[in-house]
Amino acid sequence: MRKLLVIALVAASLTACRGGETTTDAGGIKTDVGVTKEPCPQAIDQAKGCIYLGIISDLTEGPFKALAVPITEAQKAFWKRVNEAGGIGGYEIDVTKFVKDNKYNPQTHKEVWDQIKGQVLALAQTLGSPTTAAIMSDLKSGNVVAVPASWTSQWAFDDVIIESGANYCIESMNSLDYAVEKYKSKSVLAVHYAGDYGDDAAAGVKFAAEKLGLTFSHLKTDAGADKQAGAIAEIVGKKPDLVILTTGPTETATIVGQAAARGYTGRFIGTSPTWNPALLQSAAAPALLALYEQSAPWNSWTTNTPGHEALRKALTGVTALSEGYTAGWVWSYPLKAALQKATANKDLTRAGLLAAVKSLDSVDYEGMLPTGAGNFKAGATGQVKVTAIYKPDKAGVTGVSLVKDLFVGPTAQAYTLDSACFNKL
Amino acid sequence: MDELLESVVRGLGRGSVYALLALGFVIIFKATRVISFAQPAFMLAGAVMVTYLVGPLGFWGALAAATVLTGLLALGVERTAVRPMVGRPAFVVAIITLGVDIAVRVIVNAYIGNDVRQVGDPWGLSRVELAGLIIEKRDVARIVTAAVLVAALFAYFRFTRMGLAMRAASYDQEAAMAQGVSVGGVFAVSWAMAGGLAAVAGTFVAVGENVDGLMWTIALVALPVIILGGLDSPAGAVLGGVIVGVLQELVAGYQSHFPWLGGNISVITPYVVMLIVLLVKPYGLFGTREVERV
Repeated sequence: MRKLLVIALVAASLTACRGGETTTDAGGIKTDVGVTKEPCPQAIDQAKGCIYLGIISDLTEGPFKALAVPITEAQKAFWKRVNEAGGIGGYEIDVTKFVKDNKYNPQTHKEVWDQIKGQVLALAQTLGSPTTAAIMSDLKSGNVVAVPASWTSQWAFDDVIIESGANYCIESMNSLDYAVEKYKSKSVLAVHYAGDYGDDAAAGVKFAAEKLGLTFSHLKTDAGADKQAGAIAEIVGKKPDLVILTTGPTETATIVGQAAARGYTGRFIGTSPTWNPALLQSAAAPALLALYEQSAPWNSWTTNTPGHEALRKALTGVTALSEGYTAGWVWSYPLKAALQKATANKDLTRAGLLAAVKSLDSVDYEGMLPTGAGNFKAGATGQVKVTAIYKPDKAGVTGVSLVKDLFVGPTAQAYTLDSACFNKL
Repeated sequence: MDELLESVVRGLGRGSVYALLALGFVIIFKATRVISFAQPAFMLAGAVMVTYLVGPLGFWGALAAATVLTGLLALGVERTAVRPMVGRPAFVVAIITLGVDIAVRVIVNAYIGNDVRQVGDPWGLSRVELAGLIIEKRDVARIVTAAVLVAALFAYFRFTRMGLAMRAASYDQEAAMAQGVSVGGVFAVSWAMAGGLAAVAGTFVAVGENVDGLMWTIALVALPVIILGGLDSPAGAVLGGVIVGVLQELVAGYQSHFPWLGGNISVITPYVVMLIVLLVKPYGLFGTREVERV
């Protein structure tokens, strides 16, 4: 009897690991995990089935929650808009039932993924580079397509990841091209978190510094305002013309504010996750206004494109605006395109969705990214390379205003992405 | 030379905050023989309260109110979660304080919200020239505040009846009870005091900075500080805090001379100190050596 019980348990767990059975719906579309004939919990049309997408984000106490919460809200609004427009292939999309908090901790990320992996077709958001790396083997072995909320260059080499915008490596190259042209910078220091996020940007800085003839150095720092003494001392001591930051917003305020207070007068450019409009209320605000600029993979909330207009319309009533909303919205377009392609192919299984991703040669971002962006068919060579430069601005709706519109610098233009940049730091 | 002295002043500012945090740990330990891991949460709670109260009350009013409220919060925790565990092993009570820390921080995080918050202090990052040195006003504020509080605390322990009772209870609880000391009252005052100190420390951590959910981690530095100073020594907590703070700033300032040590070595400096102290002088600079008769 005990043996029978063990066998039954093993069989049950194997079934759970394998995921759902493949079935074919009334419309002839094959489905397996995370797709039901029953309507979504908040269905607009009760006659439609439901595609469940998971979200794993930094929602409560991690360093990126100020971005992650708006990203998540924007994604909910994005898919609501899709549902209101009739859904995809006879299905509506739910991104509200399987929302999990990773606290920006890879171990937690893995734990919450294990909780939902048998119930979702794909991930509408997996926030963070090191966190996503913790579930990458699972995503690959299960053919689970995932939308990253990060920009590491590694994603260009992972078929299951459908990224948008220039990665940190390319973005940093563009930042250096910009700084050399505008500020005639001759030395650069990259201050960055360890891991796929910070190392990726620092590697881009290193490559561009070599090409442009700048003196390069870099310093790894940790999350937390109290852990920046080393970075500040390095900046004040070395006095580089330019500092590229790849940290969180709290560290940005501490580093920029205190380095300026101790006499540093050079320039800072931070990647997009380094900024939070709330920093304009901090003691570091004067230093940020004077010395800091932000690089961004797409244009901000106020831009006039059909996509931006749809975003603003979908999120009418949001008062504390941030570029997290813009990011969450932009990131969702490739998954929408892939779902449409998969349903057109009559294969909405995980493998079918991945095949659809691999066949996409462009994504309609409604003008939020240049035409041709989203070429997943081309792999790493299809990467978009544009960057915009913003500066803090108290009058700006999201606390920033445009300095330089989307551009590709000569360094990034000439760079061939042949492997993840962070391996070359 | 100026650079060195300016680093020392920054270290004194940092160390002053560590001293206040460490004093909270020591006061509870002396009274109850338990290390309270709830101090980080009280520190964060106090700072967050100031961010809310600074509007109507101003910085100093908000600080005073937050100190009292956090003291009451700590007292409430002692009464509800710790007092019922009297007589249980210290390890069990310490684990309970860990749970309290997590629970309180989860609630406080909800009040921080998505954005960083500010305590609205009057100094920000402004600087002042003092004896030829350029120093940040907030460091002066930290040092002066800590000095005043430490002096007041030591006077309290020395000259008040409750202070005397706390000292008596820390030596021998049963003997103190036999002399009419309310040991329960000592426990309560100790927790309230530690909560208040944590609130002040948290607020002064955040002057010129932002309050976010990660701020609590700075309270962990108090552990190496109390190991250095001695678990049951208030004077050791103060001196240990100052030593660790100055050491951290000096290491940060001169780390570029030792690139082989990595870029952010000052972060681990307190823990290296703790390791060395544990190996060389396990009871710290002023800790009471335990005598066990066998």
